[in-house]
Amino acid sequence: MQRTTLAMLAVGAGLAASCGDDARKSTFPAVDCSKITVGSCVEIDGADSAALQAAANSIGANTTIVLGAGTFAMANQLTLRSDGMHLIGQGIELTTLDFGAATTQVNGVDSIGKDFLIQDLTVRDAPKDAIRVEQSDGVVFRRIRSTWTTPSRASNGAYGIYPVKSQHVLVEDSRAENASDAGLYVGQCQHVIVRNNTVTGNVAGLEIENTQYADVYGNTAEDNTGGIVVFDLPGNPIIGRDVRLRDNTIRNNNHVNFASGGTVARIPVGTGTFAMASRRVEITGNTYENNHTGDIALISGLAVEGEEAKWVLPTDSLSGRFDDLALTSPRPGTVSNFRAENILVANNHHAGSGTMPDPGDPLHLGLLFLAAYGTSPVDNVLYDAIGEGPHTDAPTNKNHMCVAGNTAGTFASLYLAEQTPTALVPFFRPPPPFAPYDCTALAGGPVAEVTLP
Amino acid sequence: MRSPQFALIAAVAAAACDGAPGGGDALSAPVAIDLTAPPATRLSEYHLFAWDPDAGFTFNDRVIPYDVNTALFSDYAHKQRAIYIPAGAAAAFDPDRALDVPVGSAIIKTFYFPADQRAPTEHLQLIETRLMVRHADGWHPLPYIWDADQRDAVLSPAGEVRAIPFTDPDGEPVMANYLIPQRNQCQSCHAEQATTGAPIELVLLGVKARHLNRVYDYGGSVGPRNQLDYLAELGMLTGAPPATDVPAAYDFRPIEDHGLAAVTGAELEAAARSYLDINCAHCHNPRGVQGMTSQLFVDHASTDPFHVGVCKRPGSAGVGNGGLTFDIVPGDPDASILYFRTETTRLGAMMPLLGRSLAHARGAELLRAWIAAMPATGCDDAAVSARAPRAPAHQGAGL
Repeated sequence: MQRTTLAMLAVGAGLAASCGDDARKSTFPAVDCSKITVGSCVEIDGADSAALQAAANSIGANTTIVLGAGTFAMANQLTLRSDGMHLIGQGIELTTLDFGAATTQVNGVDSIGKDFLIQDLTVRDAPKDAIRVEQSDGVVFRRIRSTWTTPSRASNGAYGIYPVKSQHVLVEDSRAENASDAGLYVGQCQHVIVRNNTVTGNVAGLEIENTQYADVYGNTAEDNTGGIVVFDLPGNPIIGRDVRLRDNTIRNNNHVNFASGGTVARIPVGTGTFAMASRRVEITGNTYENNHTGDIALISGLAVEGEEAKWVLPTDSLSGRFDDLALTSPRPGTVSNFRAENILVANNHHAGSGTMPDPGDPLHLGLLFLAAYGTSPVDNVLYDAIGEGPHTDAPTNKNHMCVAGNTAGTFASLYLAEQTPTALVPFFRPPPPFAPYDCTALAGGPVAEVTLP
Repeated sequence: MRSPQFALIAAVAAAACDGAPGGGDALSAPVAIDLTAPPATRLSEYHLFAWDPDAGFTFNDRVIPYDVNTALFSDYAHKQRAIYIPAGAAAAFDPDRALDVPVGSAIIKTFYFPADQRAPTEHLQLIETRLMVRHADGWHPLPYIWDADQRDAVLSPAGEVRAIPFTDPDGEPVMANYLIPQRNQCQSCHAEQATTGAPIELVLLGVKARHLNRVYDYGGSVGPRNQLDYLAELGMLTGAPPATDVPAAYDFRPIEDHGLAAVTGAELEAAARSYLDINCAHCHNPRGVQGMTSQLFVDHASTDPFHVGVCKRPGSAGVGNGGLTFDIVPGDPDASILYFRTETTRLGAMMPLLGRSLAHARGAELLRAWIAAMPATGCDDAAVSARAPRAPAHQGAGL
């Protein structure tokens, strides 16, 4: 059993830093402490999980932990609770934190603290979330792989790459695989860039939840149940806004839904993107291919949580800006965020999707599409029209949905609130430019580019 | 306070006494908590208590043992708790939050297992002692793991996961995958903040008036006394009203010993809420660092049914949902995520997050009975699109 004390650790770290032989080169082929120029640095030999745990629980703020090449067999999570913790491996193929033998229910890497960085390593088979970073300001995930060995298993961990309640977050060049909930999950964050990542084999590939100012581009979402989704949940203290999904590839997201519960268990197999209970979202320049249920859905929060009272938020509980949003206020001092509104869909490429709607999703959307479309493909962009006028009146666009620029795709308004199990209300399927949904600009101006310090 | 130099010498001298039984020497000198020195390598250096398999625990001057009405379940580990308050200082009473314990104090909690839970004082194995030391900047957690020979415990920041076999209260052999938390994991439970992003503060959990308001048998000439009254009488607690004027959390022991027959229907709510308060509310309270996201608040002070979980959908519980929809479905424990998560032993779904690998049979029974006793109003699962039309059979068959 390893019982390294503070003093012993300091000595050990000193020894490691002073070595310079060939063995070290094979252990630290890509990076060692000599290349770390900020703060303190500790090197941990490949596979020495006891030394890693001793270090993580003894070091002070602003320390880089460099992990050698090898597989670290982890019985407990790696818990980091100081500011300035940087965890750097030798590459996703060389350094792995393996939680396959963990008998306690823990995350893989669990960090609370500002200025967190994780880079060049794989986290495998975490009992819960692979890498959970909470309440940080300044977060970098770079060239990380989060994965579970067995695909499609409901007992796989929930989230792979998981920054939550954090600000100034960058996730890039990473891979998130086989999560039973979301592979790459950005929750309740502000000022976020998610770029050039690949998410595969997850229930939800990439989720942006209750998040403000997120730029999501250059990512590939393939073989998930749902590809890239944006949504608010009821009750969370940040109202999502200003999200750009651009130039991503979202294809073949027809993976069986193996979630054991939660919001994602309701995602129909074959979903490309949905924006739910969201506002100020731009979905532009993406490539959508072969998502069996459909490519893009714009839906109200009431579609999944029908009780408006549960979406009421006291304004004094909220973080981030919301005063300039057209939120409904059910009573003084409160706002509601169930509406999906002020969304722009333009210049996306669509091919081959909507041909086999999921007949088994709990929301019965797939059944609705089967009833409505028969053997024809589902339209590329779907709007539930919750909050608009009844289908018997002329169509309205109270929620300012702008799809005029998406002429390479088709559009339908579903009148979802009026649909019943016994009678199908005909969809409204206007030709381009899809009037009255033919606006081309968001109210309040375009979503600004996100810049990180 | 004693000078740092003296304390350091004392600590070194104690460490040099190799072979001294488990703190057998520990009471030969006053308690030595030195806030300016690094943490002691060996627990005995603090002179807090002695332990002997025959004599049990013996506490040094100003180290007062205590117990709580309902305890956090930790895989059936037994816990010997004590508080040390330096001479001339006292904790300040608070009606709701933890007592304000002065700088220089320590909370000492030793976790141990009897070989057979039906004989709780025999064949004890000490596993770990968790120390919380009050510095000027807050509480510092220090985990110590007991040696195999049970003579002393060693500072062990990395913690350990240890398989511990024992016989459970029903006489069944079980194996706990017992987590000795690593130092950074102390914050998983002992952390509060005013709002997300605010500074995180380490807090005490059991050292609250309502949990402490019970009788403890101090033995000797003192005998059984109410803990709050006794601490006040010793001058170690100030500002406390008589214990008879302080609300008390429900005493879980009769339930542990006799099952739900020990609870009347009228007591069920109080018993369940006390159980949730100590087992769940360290995270699930509006200030809980890891629980505030969930919006599920089961601390004693939270009364809004939605936040307590009634017909509340979890935010992002993932596999923890167990395929269920609402945290609590009144009258239907089997449809309630709260019951599922406290009863299951499935990794990734269990609650609390840390410290439990086994099911707490009596605790789960209590929560089950509590939910079952709620008027069965049901929860509205009628999301708008659930009313979508069913596909004609010939279309569905083609898929």
